[in-house]
Amino acid sequence: MPAEHIIKSYDEELARLNKMVVEMGGLAESQLAAAIDAVVKRDSALAARVVEGDATVDQIERDLDNLAIRLLALRQPMARDLREIFVALKIASDLERICDYAANVAKRSIALSQAPPVQLVHALPRMAQFALLLVKDVIDAYVEHDADKALAVWTRDEELDEMYSSLFREFLTYMMEDPRNIGTCTHLLFMAKNIERIGDHATNIAENLYYLVHGTPLTQARPKGDKSSLEVVGPDRTAPR
Amino acid sequence: MISPTVRPLMSDSDTAGRASADSAAVSQARRTPAAIPRLQPALMPNEAPGTATPATKVDLRNINFFYGKFQALHDITLPLYDRRVTAFIGPSGCGKSTLLRILNRIYELYPGQVATGEVYLDGINILAPGLDLNRLRAKIGMVFQKPTPFPMSIYDNIAFGIGLYEKLPKSELDDRVESAIRRAALWDEVKHKLRDSGLSLSGGQQQRLCIARAIAIEPEVLLLDEPASALDPISTQRIEELIAELKVDYCIAMVTHNMQQAARSSDYTAFLYLGELIEFDETERIFTHPRVPRTEDYITGRFG
Repeated sequence: MPAEHIIKSYDEELARLNKMVVEMGGLAESQLAAAIDAVVKRDSALAARVVEGDATVDQIERDLDNLAIRLLALRQPMARDLREIFVALKIASDLERICDYAANVAKRSIALSQAPPVQLVHALPRMAQFALLLVKDVIDAYVEHDADKALAVWTRDEELDEMYSSLFREFLTYMMEDPRNIGTCTHLLFMAKNIERIGDHATNIAENLYYLVHGTPLTQARPKGDKSSLEVVGPDRTAPR
Repeated sequence: MISPTVRPLMSDSDTAGRASADSAAVSQARRTPAAIPRLQPALMPNEAPGTATPATKVDLRNINFFYGKFQALHDITLPLYDRRVTAFIGPSGCGKSTLLRILNRIYELYPGQVATGEVYLDGINILAPGLDLNRLRAKIGMVFQKPTPFPMSIYDNIAFGIGLYEKLPKSELDDRVESAIRRAALWDEVKHKLRDSGLSLSGGQQQRLCIARAIAIEPEVLLLDEPASALDPISTQRIEELIAELKVDYCIAMVTHNMQQAARSSDYTAFLYLGELIEFDETERIFTHPRVPRTEDYITGRFG
């Protein structure tokens, strides 16, 4: 961090803002981890706690918004300070979305645990663990204000996209093999999509962090690994390749 | 516009009649800025290809300034663009007011104050000896921090300056006074009391009267030394709005301690520290993403 402000309370407020972002990041991690656990262990009680926990995250985001507005109005920040506050606001809303997706995964896991256990559920947690790693790393990058680390997360999201594409194909195949899988697979598809979106929010955070550190936006196009939106399944085809 | 009655700073007839000792200085003065290699002691703006840079009105080259033995400015090289506002910012004692005072050579009123280097106004070195200071100051108007109306009527505050340079018939003088007061956004407030003393006005009105007085003689450059620092917020905003209107016609240089004011009202910002130009760039760049850490420390309030 650069030198301290002449006005000490300004530093304290900026540090508080920082802490709130990190706190939200910690919650995003634990919510996602718990949601994955709930899927794997078919633990509806845990899933319910994740769904309830979302309210805490929303509350921190509102508090953070208030603090940021206060800082903007009363401190009239410039340059790096301005980016620090602007980026905190943007990262907080990404983290809030990540928590929403985690809660949605948890909610769907309750539906899944009521159906008989199926082997194909196990394909999902591996992807979710990878998304969790991205979230964890990007929050670490934020704590350290490390743009290189953020850039690494930004690049690795491609892998998550590829995992999603392959899960998409896998679930399609299961559904075509046996229509009784459709109920479970539809839930699984939504969960996979949620997790894929979590990765996108992690890359948003990485981009904002890069901007915070360098003062210029990351303009390069991000590599995209997800081609599933281009795929169709027709009557004369099995799962598309 | 300069009226035809105002002669240029140095006409050919002036230089031809002068003694040969002077002619060296004059030819020095007439060197065009294009002939001089650009020195870049401080960080200067990146001129992106394809974007039009405004025309340089005043070109400061390697300016050093001394208060006796104390050197207050070190090798300042900086352009002031025409029809743009350039703000000078920096902590007290950094030399920003000194820099402004060089531009109309007002420092020469004080013994022991010496400037070296060149300041080109439209290609003519205004620091060269033999320059007509009255005509220089008619081209470069100045407004000070504390409003300084003359102890005379509002009307005469404006007419007095015009009378120094031109003899106009009464009706024409009336027009010039009115137009100057209008351009300083003061007309509606004083039109019914032009014969009242200038000192009867409020601080903000007095400051606008001083701006009206400065522009009445139709200068080309306006120097504003903390023009709003003694005013309330509403008067300050009036002055800032006025600056925005005036820059359509003038090259404006402004010293301010109020960084929000520099950010709001200027197009370019120069940051000075301990007599050195640390960074000069577009105002937007300086206040969002300065390139020199010391600039960022200053504008974000981190200066030790």
